[in-house]
Amino acid sequence: MAATQELIKNDIAKYLAIHENKDMLKLITCGSVDDGKSTLIGRLLYESQALTEDQLHSAESDSKKHGTQGDALDFALLVDGLSAEREQGITIDVAYRYFNTDQRKFIIADTPGHVQYTRNMVTGASTAEAAIILVDARKGMQTQTRRHAYLTSLMGIRNVVLAINKMDLVNYSEDIYNNIVDEFNQFTDLEQIETENITAIPLSALNGDNITQRGTHMPWYHGSTLLSLLETIKVDQEIALKKPFRLPVQWVNRPNLDFRGFAGTVASGSINVGDPIRVQPSGKTSTVDRIVTKDGDLDRAIAGQAITLLLKDEIDISRGDVISTTETPASSANQFESTIVWMNEEPMLPGRQYLLKCGTSTSTATITDIKHEINVDTLEQIAAKKLEINNIGNCNINLDRQIAFDDYTENRATGSFILVDKVTNETVGAGTLNFALRRSQNIHMQAVDVDKNLRSGLKAQKSCVLWFTGLSGSGKSTIANIVERKLAEEGRHTYLLDGDNVRHGLNKDLGFTDEDRVENIRRIGEVARLMVDSGLIVLTAFISPFRAERQMARALLEDDEFLEVFVETPLAVAEQRDPKGLYKKARSGDLKNFTGIDSPYEQPENPEMLVDTSSLSAEQCAEQIIRALRQRGVISGDIE
Amino acid sequence: MPTDSTSASALNERRRLAVKLRLEGRKLKDICELVDLSSPTIIAAHKQFLKGGWPAVDTKPRGRPSGERSTPQDQLETLREKAFGRPQSNVPWSYSLLQEETGPTGAGTSARTLGKHVEQWGLVAENLHRASKNDGSLSDWLAADYKSIISDSRKLDSTIYWAGMASCRTSGDGQVIKYIHAHTTKGQYYWLAGNHQTDTDRFIDFFERLANLKNRLTVIWGGHDPYLTAATSEWLKRNTNIHFYQLPKTTMATKEKKIASTAVSAANDPDSINTEPAGDPLKNAASLTHLQRLEAESIHIMREVVAAAEKPAMLYSLGKDSSVMLHLAQKAFYPAPPPFPLVHVDTGWKFKAMYDFRDQIAKETGMQLIVHKNIAGIDKGVNPFTHGSSIHTDILKTEALRQVLDKHKFDITFGGARRDEEKSRAKERILSFRTEQHRWDPKNQRPELWNLYNTKTAPGESIRAFPLSNWTELDIWQYIHLENIPVVPLYFAADRPVVLRDGTWIMVDDDRMPMNNGETPIMKRVRFRTLGCYPLTGAVESDATSVQDVIKEMLLSNSSERQGRMIDHDSSASMEKKKQEGYF
Repeated sequence: MAATQELIKNDIAKYLAIHENKDMLKLITCGSVDDGKSTLIGRLLYESQALTEDQLHSAESDSKKHGTQGDALDFALLVDGLSAEREQGITIDVAYRYFNTDQRKFIIADTPGHVQYTRNMVTGASTAEAAIILVDARKGMQTQTRRHAYLTSLMGIRNVVLAINKMDLVNYSEDIYNNIVDEFNQFTDLEQIETENITAIPLSALNGDNITQRGTHMPWYHGSTLLSLLETIKVDQEIALKKPFRLPVQWVNRPNLDFRGFAGTVASGSINVGDPIRVQPSGKTSTVDRIVTKDGDLDRAIAGQAITLLLKDEIDISRGDVISTTETPASSANQFESTIVWMNEEPMLPGRQYLLKCGTSTSTATITDIKHEINVDTLEQIAAKKLEINNIGNCNINLDRQIAFDDYTENRATGSFILVDKVTNETVGAGTLNFALRRSQNIHMQAVDVDKNLRSGLKAQKSCVLWFTGLSGSGKSTIANIVERKLAEEGRHTYLLDGDNVRHGLNKDLGFTDEDRVENIRRIGEVARLMVDSGLIVLTAFISPFRAERQMARALLEDDEFLEVFVETPLAVAEQRDPKGLYKKARSGDLKNFTGIDSPYEQPENPEMLVDTSSLSAEQCAEQIIRALRQRGVISGDIE
Repeated sequence: MPTDSTSASALNERRRLAVKLRLEGRKLKDICELVDLSSPTIIAAHKQFLKGGWPAVDTKPRGRPSGERSTPQDQLETLREKAFGRPQSNVPWSYSLLQEETGPTGAGTSARTLGKHVEQWGLVAENLHRASKNDGSLSDWLAADYKSIISDSRKLDSTIYWAGMASCRTSGDGQVIKYIHAHTTKGQYYWLAGNHQTDTDRFIDFFERLANLKNRLTVIWGGHDPYLTAATSEWLKRNTNIHFYQLPKTTMATKEKKIASTAVSAANDPDSINTEPAGDPLKNAASLTHLQRLEAESIHIMREVVAAAEKPAMLYSLGKDSSVMLHLAQKAFYPAPPPFPLVHVDTGWKFKAMYDFRDQIAKETGMQLIVHKNIAGIDKGVNPFTHGSSIHTDILKTEALRQVLDKHKFDITFGGARRDEEKSRAKERILSFRTEQHRWDPKNQRPELWNLYNTKTAPGESIRAFPLSNWTELDIWQYIHLENIPVVPLYFAADRPVVLRDGTWIMVDDDRMPMNNGETPIMKRVRFRTLGCYPLTGAVESDATSVQDVIKEMLLSNSSERQGRMIDHDSSASMEKKKQEGYF
């Protein structure tokens, strides 16, 4: 550092030339205040001289007032500016700190460890390229250490530093350090937590051992110091460069008719002028014509750069599309298995719709199924019906349209998403796309869409079929008509199927042979089933003399949806009424196969309802049916 | 272990025993030792038990039913089990040893073919020796340290091994298996795999076995540090025949390889299989500088906001941050001009030089400039001298800002605030939500993950967007330097008329400033670190007349920039309070 100060004094131009070419690393610190997290961050800021004199001065005077280190500087006070807000109950998810070394600029996400820990840590970890997991050497592996290791691997952080702190309080014991490292390794092995690089370092943040300098207390430690490790970790942007090219389109730039540019940040890979490209999810292809920036056109753009692409062909591309190279295009799907971290007080419920933002695309998502919840402390999988705040679950999701994506493990930028509540506009959850589900794998399709229950629920009724059966002239149509009218008066949604509207249209190709009679009833049964599915109360008025046919219609519907209404009228009474003169024709032999005369009527054995038209008027029969419907809960309202 | 321990029935017996012990609550580590199964296997068996009871614990019958002719597939399975276990002889696995120990099964297979299989199983790590040659960050070490290691090893007649650790996944159940590997400089390859040992034990076992090949070893270790525990370093200390060097931390990372279940890869020299393409032509062009990344991040935020906003605007305060922000906006939407107007909230008390600069920029950029003053406040005669900084700011700045946002119905407004400006700003989000009354509700802000910004608002609500959140003061000046961005000349030292008030130099910019008793302006060489209303902005004595000078002064002097802004000193929580009231 002294050399740097000299350089600044003597040759500022050279200093700038060096420092303008630094790269940048974003990292997250995991641990509670008790692990010495604030002290560690304060120490890093102090050692890298990121603090200004007045900041140091106020920390020094604070140290004397309420520091815990006697007259020595309490590093924790350098960063702990959030206590007042915490007392006021203000939610702080992440605080960001900045410091520089000669090699790098660092951004530290510091997440306060308390009730909202999971939400906060996931937020901080989502942009981090490395994680420091702090362990108090006196306490060893704690539940929270496991949680930190799990969450860092869940968020796809490639580099983990296991910082075993407070070594000064365990006499710099090599054995204690080794035991903790072994325990940690066993844990990650056991739970198959996958992190590309894990490095353990024994530290004393308080005394500065192994932070920037080794110190003399731990000669047995051969590895690097914390800062030199952080300076050499490979940044994600460099890794992203080796992956296939992805450009999520943010904005279509059309300043005039001759210019149509697609603006976005290169999420991964690289692209050259002349490269063939494919747009997902549309699948259209073209070739890169120009790569435009204000500083001049580029021949090649790489991961991390914000650019504007011009294509050779005029193809339709809009915000939310992803441009890939043709040889390794992004996938496109609308059903996924995902891991969701829930962040809102209002729990996540399957079936509810949320806005899903992935890359630059926004779609409507429905959680079709919570496969299981993951306990972040024990990593056990638990069955769950909903996800509460700070819970993590593996869920299947269904989008209203195809989006371009990559699996999160392949590409963090095109495999991550947030969920937004459609009413409050709050960000309620975040997640990773684990893989696309093929249609056949999604067995929960029914639960997803608007279904029978929802449709009939909207109409405040339970959809069903009232299957009127009885002799010709028994009064089926008359009663069914009155019932329908009464239901309509109550605001129920109904439909009456009878000979008039079926025989003349849908079934006009059918005669009265036995086959045609069966086909007639089959078609009526199918139409009734669709109407029940649409949420209606369906009334059918057909003689339907054969038990087997009625049974066939019953089988098409669920148990409580088929209500057989036997309109009981003695043959003599029906024949006496004979409203259409059919009995007369049948008796005279002009009409063959007439039910009751020369064709049998098989009475229902256990009809759901039975109305006796010989003792009750049609109006009374209808009232009896309405009452029965109320009792069965088909329609709501007082039971008289 | 009896020799039939790998038969299906013996294996199932051990699996059942493991599940039983697990159900009794025994520690996994103990069970591993007792039944000689790896911990993932035990966990899997236990899970299967929970799902399907005892019958589910048994492994499915493997291979072909007995009686059928044995096929290469069976041979492969035997080879595979060998390669992932410990050899009978006291040396580590190499292709030739694998050939030897598999006996009749392996005899017909050439070392070359074996090598292909071993590679397919994921057991061949990157040849660190080769990779190091392509790693630019190692060139110094190779030229100096490694040279002397080579000459030492020649003197001692020891063999150099480039060793490290890696892991792979089995193609079947996808479990991760760790292994240690070593390449000689001639490409001879050795390994020892399996999860049945602790890392330390595997480490010691491997090098003990290597030492049996040739007594003196020189090891260049490129593996992870967790392997270097006290136990291993103790052991290394005792074994003076092993000279152990750690490869400097490099950009090389050990990789976990996913194993292709089919297709043997192109033929390789079996003794020196290298799975990485040699050299990476992109290496030097790979890394963006921190300023390039910050620039791209800010542009990304601006484009996201503009894509979502119905009526965006950019607050333009004329300070250095505003200048950088405007510069970035021009880049973000090039060749189109930024698709929003600049809004300047004018208290009427800014420095004269700022007004000149503003009008010049508006002319140069061709962007619409909306200047707004709180006329009612000005008519009431509100000014910083008689009313104090607090009321002045509230009426002429905060109130005025609300007025202009309401008048034009801007739904998203850009501001130039940075998180490093002040301790309490460290937690600020990039998008900050305001109620219809422009109040900032600290309890009701949205989490921000990845680069996914939630730009949804209800009618009346608005968003303040801070694209410079992750920039520090130094970044801003470096960028101004690099990109040659024009800033108000007040940032540079010049002789200016000032008076000393409450320990702060205040510039007498016009004759509206009343002089206290005995006060006379004196000329001093001063500059400003931040710009605001001139009566409220402290100057610092300085000789810095260029951007380079300013950076130099900032790096060497070190007092935080908001020190010069009097508004912060009014009360300790003043920023917080201002923000809740709607100050930017």
